[in-house]
Amino acid sequence: MTVRLSYEAGTIRVEAEDDTAAADEPPLPPLPGVEADPRSKTGRAPAYQYAAIRRALTVAGVAVDDCVPVWKQTAPNGLSLSTAYELRTYQQAALTAWHDADDRGVVELPTGAGKTVVAIRAMVDRNVPTLVVVPTIDLLEQWHRELETEFDVPIGRFGGGEQRRETITVSTYDSAYRKAASIGDAFGFVVFDEVHHLGGEGYRDIARLLAAPARLGLTATFERPDGAHEAVTDLVGDRVYALDVDDLAGDHLAPYDVRRIEVSLTPAERERYDERQETFLEYIREAGITFSSGEDYRKLVMRSGTDPRAREALLAKSAARSIMMNAEQKLEQLTELLDRHRDDRVIIFTAHTELVYRISERFLIPAITAETGATERRTILERFRDGTYSRVVAANVLDEGVDVPDAAVAVVLSGSGSEREFTQRLGRILRPKSDGGRAVLYEVVSTETAEERVARRRR
Amino acid sequence: MLRKDHLRVSRAGGGYRPAFVDRSHRPLAARVLGAFEAAVGDRRATLDDRLETLEAEADDFKLVRGLAALVERECTFETQATVPPDRVRRAAFEAAETVGVTGASERAQAVDRAAAQLGVEPDIVDADLYADRESNEILVDASVRFDPDTLLEQYNLSLAQTALFDATEVRVQSVDPKRLVSAVKRLRLMYELRVTDDGDRELLVTGPDTLFRRTRRYGTAFARLLRSVAGTAEWRLEATIDDRGTTRELTLTDADVSVPDVDPVVEPSFDSGVEADFAGRFRALDLDWSLVREPAPLATGSRVMIPDFSFEYAHANVTYYFEVMGFWTPAYVEKKLEQLADLEAVDLIVAVDESLGVGEEIAAHDHRVIPYTDTVRVKDVVDVLQEYETTLIEAAADALPDALSPDDDVVELEALADRHGVSEDALEAVSFPDHVRVGRTLVRPAVLDRLESIVEVGTSLSTVESRLKEHGIDDVSATLSWLGYRVEWEGLSGGTVRERA
Repeated sequence: MTVRLSYEAGTIRVEAEDDTAAADEPPLPPLPGVEADPRSKTGRAPAYQYAAIRRALTVAGVAVDDCVPVWKQTAPNGLSLSTAYELRTYQQAALTAWHDADDRGVVELPTGAGKTVVAIRAMVDRNVPTLVVVPTIDLLEQWHRELETEFDVPIGRFGGGEQRRETITVSTYDSAYRKAASIGDAFGFVVFDEVHHLGGEGYRDIARLLAAPARLGLTATFERPDGAHEAVTDLVGDRVYALDVDDLAGDHLAPYDVRRIEVSLTPAERERYDERQETFLEYIREAGITFSSGEDYRKLVMRSGTDPRAREALLAKSAARSIMMNAEQKLEQLTELLDRHRDDRVIIFTAHTELVYRISERFLIPAITAETGATERRTILERFRDGTYSRVVAANVLDEGVDVPDAAVAVVLSGSGSEREFTQRLGRILRPKSDGGRAVLYEVVSTETAEERVARRRR
Repeated sequence: MLRKDHLRVSRAGGGYRPAFVDRSHRPLAARVLGAFEAAVGDRRATLDDRLETLEAEADDFKLVRGLAALVERECTFETQATVPPDRVRRAAFEAAETVGVTGASERAQAVDRAAAQLGVEPDIVDADLYADRESNEILVDASVRFDPDTLLEQYNLSLAQTALFDATEVRVQSVDPKRLVSAVKRLRLMYELRVTDDGDRELLVTGPDTLFRRTRRYGTAFARLLRSVAGTAEWRLEATIDDRGTTRELTLTDADVSVPDVDPVVEPSFDSGVEADFAGRFRALDLDWSLVREPAPLATGSRVMIPDFSFEYAHANVTYYFEVMGFWTPAYVEKKLEQLADLEAVDLIVAVDESLGVGEEIAAHDHRVIPYTDTVRVKDVVDVLQEYETTLIEAAADALPDALSPDDDVVELEALADRHGVSEDALEAVSFPDHVRVGRTLVRPAVLDRLESIVEVGTSLSTVESRLKEHGIDDVSATLSWLGYRVEWEGLSGGTVRERA
């Protein structure tokens, strides 16, 4: 008996060719994840089970006609990759732990600790076509640039308006979600940068539909409050190595200070804010909504589809939030900070796109938002890196992992209060500085608003 | 397709029903189209403000947004600037870097510097700095393919597609199953043939990963499938919706949704001359069998085969499938033979080109074979059908009781046969103890007694006709004959009743 495995749109089709079965042959063992499919009248498993199925068949001594690893055909002799990177001690330890876990699992390192280098080393070791999945366009650019410099092969990309596949390809999570079922047999190794994204319901499909046996997840903060990291463990592997920020600070990362600056709304702003807020509160009091769970907010949003008063309440809430975010005093405070740090490299963050553009127009500072095209954002980051620009204002698109070397000052103009977002924003300035100066993070919040409570929760 | 947050559905009674629009929404559709036309030459942000006003006035802001999204897709927006905005930004940011901008005077200084470098007035720097932001683009062309009616038609299609985003499986019936199967394959979905409780054949469509879990991953593929399905005249699509964890059922038909500017496919086109020719000649005959093109998918192994025709019997729920097997390529013949070997248990007649020499092999799979050369002879097919019909009549007759006593005083055999769902021929062997058979009509003896007292020698034919009619009898000559009279004709229509010789 021979078992034939083939890749079909995100699944492994399993066919036992019984015709030649002899009595003394071993029976087919139960295969991980394989179920009977009445549609094709074959067995079938989600593609991520491929490695486990192969292992089970090998252990049982069953002959396999394996058509899954198309990646072996595209590079029959491997890719002959090499790298000049010297691994730091903890990077080497992380890599060894990953190899020990059968080339599967998650490595947790703080932002700035050189996660990319670990992945590049792993790619050299594996030597097979590899897909690197990243959350943002900026990271797509950065990985693409890095891999092109390091390796002597063309680097493909999915995302940022380009869809070009090469033996080594970098993709956004969004593009990978759409393409997973059609490219799942083209890569023998997949790297998930900022792997905690994979915990999201939809993105999980990416890891599920790829056949790649080798999997590496990278993150600064593995655990998610919703427990979704357990799904990541199933699909990528266990956390094989973890290193804390405190283990690194002073060694490889610059020490930093956090300063909190409170500003108040102007009387006019306060009046408008209170008025909007009251409209909102009045409705939820009447409707008996308590906001004891996140579910309540969702209900309100659903209700706004049919109930004009619910919609009015939501619009009022959004207007109130906008008044708070755009508080004139924040811009005054920013003026002072920019004045104080005339000679420093400053990066400004805010969640509000319109505020980014107001700051950009008012202070003539380059802006990076979701609207910024790939070429322009690359240029801006390059010019910030080489010193042509000393200031940048960004929406949350820069939240994760993008190299912004040597920025000494960060200003956060509004915050959502989520633990992860906060540490990763901090990570933006936690880069080793050439002159050894201390980095500083300012958090500017309006007083006596919901935003202040968010900031207090972080203490 | 619309954005998911513009979806409007009713969950009344636990269902899942898109809130389709109708003629009463024409004024709103016209106003949305009008807002775009009026905004030509304006910034996108200005257009958005106008649409927002419309939203506030309409009772349903999502409807306005959905309609606007469909129109916007067809419009052209353009960045209008004296100097390319990215050059302006570069100059302005570099100047600001040199000056060190924190306050208004420093800003003015930087703008002047940038303007000088670009060779333009300072106000151009301000105007063009972000002229390429989406909200600053200018609407230059709003001549779209929609009028209010087609916009509403497109909206209904797009809304139904959007409702399918959360579908985990769909079940489809269509008058064009071939088109359906090829769309399913093109979209990398999978299908299974199902027979419903009503005996209809439908495709259960899912995605590869559905085997392991209910997933909404294939929702957009289902939405695309709907576009294909809705291009035909008669279809029905049922979907199972994962509505944030609650399972709901959605049903769509050709009465809900159509495709603007597309004539629906009423009958699939013929893919060979032999078939077209046969259909034409068969339909010219007036038989108790109707001919249906590419009727329904039949299961063969893990796939389906869609036969060329089916014959459906007028008097009973009986279908015979008919496949015309011509000579295309050896691979085609091979595939056909494989399909026929694995075919589910249905009655299939196969017309086989004699030159193929495969008739016996097909007959071995219990299919009825009709050999032909050049064209399929209609008579050969009719002969087979009549043979079946004889069997059907016998079976129907067997199923009838030996004697029937209808409640009617007078009833025609044809009507009685219909009532029992059989052909008239099937009644031949039945006796009618309470009625007398007069020609093709059954009449109670009491009625005949009454008629006997009405009709006498010398009565005019027209009087007899109207009296018989009062009793529900149309067959005048058979009745008169039974009563022992005949008609003496006068001219073409008139006559008088006489004793039968």
